[in-house]
Amino acid sequence: MRSDAIPLAPVPLTADEAETMLQRQIKKHHVAIILLHWFNAATWILEVATGAALISSRLFRVAPDWYLAIVNGLFGTRGNLLRFHVALGLVWIGVFLVYGIFGFRTYLRGEVLKKEIALDRDDVRWLVVRALRILGRSDEALPLQGVYNAGQKLFSMVVYAMLPVVMVTGVIMAFRLFSPWVVGWAVVLHFGAVGAVVAGLVIHVYMGAVFPEEKPAFFSMFTGSVNELFAYNHHFKWWREMKTEQLAWDRQREPAAEIARPETPAGGEGDAQEPST
Amino acid sequence: MARYAMVTDLRKCVACQACTVACSAEWAVPAGHARTHVRTTPLAGSFPNLTSSPVVGQCNQCDHPPCVEPCPSGATYQDAGGIVRVDTDVCIGCGFCVDACPYEARFINPRTKKVDKCDFCRPRIERGEVPACVATCTAHAKYFGDLEDRNSEVSRLVFRDGARRMETRTVAVGPNVFYLGRPEHLDLVLSSYPPRPPRLLTAGAAWTRLLKPLVLAMVGMTFAGQAVAFFTQLHKGEGDFEE
Repeated sequence: MRSDAIPLAPVPLTADEAETMLQRQIKKHHVAIILLHWFNAATWILEVATGAALISSRLFRVAPDWYLAIVNGLFGTRGNLLRFHVALGLVWIGVFLVYGIFGFRTYLRGEVLKKEIALDRDDVRWLVVRALRILGRSDEALPLQGVYNAGQKLFSMVVYAMLPVVMVTGVIMAFRLFSPWVVGWAVVLHFGAVGAVVAGLVIHVYMGAVFPEEKPAFFSMFTGSVNELFAYNHHFKWWREMKTEQLAWDRQREPAAEIARPETPAGGEGDAQEPST
Repeated sequence: MARYAMVTDLRKCVACQACTVACSAEWAVPAGHARTHVRTTPLAGSFPNLTSSPVVGQCNQCDHPPCVEPCPSGATYQDAGGIVRVDTDVCIGCGFCVDACPYEARFINPRTKKVDKCDFCRPRIERGEVPACVATCTAHAKYFGDLEDRNSEVSRLVFRDGARRMETRTVAVGPNVFYLGRPEHLDLVLSSYPPRPPRLLTAGAAWTRLLKPLVLAMVGMTFAGQAVAFFTQLHKGEGDFEE
């Protein structure tokens, strides 16, 4: 597609164009991210399930008696339950450390985070319109989104802010570091931080697994790619970015092609007139 | 079912600390801490009619132990014999229970960083022995037994001889450590070391009053929002959502 052919806003597609785009896959997630996502999901299910059963005092707990009885029964003793929770938590932290250290340049640099987390004006508007649309109160078109939509960005913000809290407070409790006063506050913050993530997870899981419009996004967490039509319709800014990059790449290649066959006249498309960059 | 109790006869106690030493040796209690302690009240009265009394304190294995509820992990519990025990496998050392105890009978063991306290030497009872402090008391001032057994010595001392609980009108949690002594001495002990009302550390209070409602509200709201979305989805039909 030519640069002047990349629209600034989505244009209605012909059936053929839509079909072609539907068949074409665009890479969205690295294998490392897919593995981390599902490892994280499995860990969270187990940690939240055991953690909820560990808070057994009537004052603090969030799970009913029967739930505590089942989970305690599964583990035999409460000591085993706590050991499992702590051991899995430490493995989880270990995996994230590896990811954080080796993947820092790829996934955690400022500009990457800015792209994946920071909300712009469109994102804020998107949140409002998305909510109204879900509630059936609006038919307004959604503002254009980048590689992640504002809902995903908002959830990432919560996750990026709360994960360090969950990890640090977990380690403090596991090894009873510093003073009992610190451990006491660690329990409270651990609960609060997990609670914030779980509140987000409720939406995250629904949007990913149940909400029909996001189906390609859900499958991209297995395959790593989404079809171009989905990117075009839901992440237009990202689609445009990809197209622009692709064009720049093509242009870089074209002069080389011309050098290789300087005598060959350009095909009727006028490629030879493309300005070299 | 047994209901274990201890009676200390303050008239016989000579504050020799043998019980403290025996307890610390039995349970390897680190220096500077104790599961049982012997104190002496300040002098009362006016010269020359001065009086004071020794006080032997420990976990009172209360009928309604205020330390159980504040324990988030359920490490502190009351067993079938009425003894308040700590499952050290589950204790995370948050100290909520330490602050809750009206008798200041709990401490964080600096070696294990978990809570430690008297449990009437539960393992010794299971072997058919009496607690270490009772076995060691040089003046035979301590008695231990089952309150439910009407023929036991403790039962006789409590129900016939009127051994008293150290509780006040404001803090009545049913301690199962009883004291014998002259009424003025027991009054002096109670006024010198009254049980303080159970309290919850600020962290615990922040959890129950602020964070728990907040988390439940947040999760509840997202869940409700998602439920509305789901029913809208059902109502609209999925066809409308397709690409």
